[in-house]
Amino acid sequence: MRFTLVKELRTDPLMRPLLNGVLIFIVAFLFVDIFLKYERTGIDVATISNTLYGNEEEFADPISEQFFLELLHAEIFFIMMTLLTLSAIYARLAPIKRRMLIVINVISLAAISEVVMFVLAYYVGSLFIYIWIVSFWTWHIGAIFVSTLSLFYLNFQRGG
Amino acid sequence: MYAAYRAAIVYFVIFGLFLLGSGLSLFLNKIGYCADDISLYYLGNGTRSAKSVSGLMETAVPHLGAIGFFVMVAAHFMLFASKKAKLHAVKIATILFAASMLDILCGFFILQHDSVWIWIKLASFTVFMVAGVYLLLMVLFYALWHAPSQ
Repeated sequence: MRFTLVKELRTDPLMRPLLNGVLIFIVAFLFVDIFLKYERTGIDVATISNTLYGNEEEFADPISEQFFLELLHAEIFFIMMTLLTLSAIYARLAPIKRRMLIVINVISLAAISEVVMFVLAYYVGSLFIYIWIVSFWTWHIGAIFVSTLSLFYLNFQRGG
Repeated sequence: MYAAYRAAIVYFVIFGLFLLGSGLSLFLNKIGYCADDISLYYLGNGTRSAKSVSGLMETAVPHLGAIGFFVMVAAHFMLFASKKAKLHAVKIATILFAASMLDILCGFFILQHDSVWIWIKLASFTVFMVAGVYLLLMVLFYALWHAPSQ
């Protein structure tokens, strides 16, 4: 996060293209992650339920605990790194600091909720799938919004 | 320190603890936490096949990338701490780098049927977990109570 020390981020010949690159990659990651979830575990209650608990009528086996933990472990790492990078960039570029802080908190709490609800849905019950879906969409849409907004601030807004 | 950076660090620490927790659960679920379980996981028995080098590489490659990155990012939050705290963070980060490298390499050595590596793997994994939690709590403590306000 050394770039947080650069004063004129928007005019810096090194940092501006680098941040543009990383923001585009973050947006791409978030979109592809939605499609990956759609394919792998599902993003609606019925499909997620089938993935986690199986379905006798459709002869679908539930996912193993080992596979679930591997999925969770990788998910946590990617969320952690994405949110840290995105928060640092957005905090540096957003003009209204108070609103920016609220947005960062909402996205991060939704991401934490997604992880916790995924665990509860697997070990406790299907009720938590509903909260998982809300958390999943909140943090994904929020992060896409923040990335796009950061790209706008970086390229089209004047001043420091 | 800006409130936003402080918040970002706090969330990083929370996710870091989740990451270590899920790693521990995965280790217990997949391998086990006694020497016999580890031996069975790597060397197999009559009914279960032994791990192959390429199978171990599939786990080693993402971990080599991710752990190096994770330790560096976590420890660099101590950049603006006092010199003493920084040196302490360097020691912890070095322990983390060494323990994780040893943990990853042990799998390959266990395949050579040398049982001492099973114990080294257990020890290095335990050290990594304890040092990881310690570093994250140190970062959290510094971010919340010791960082300059702006």
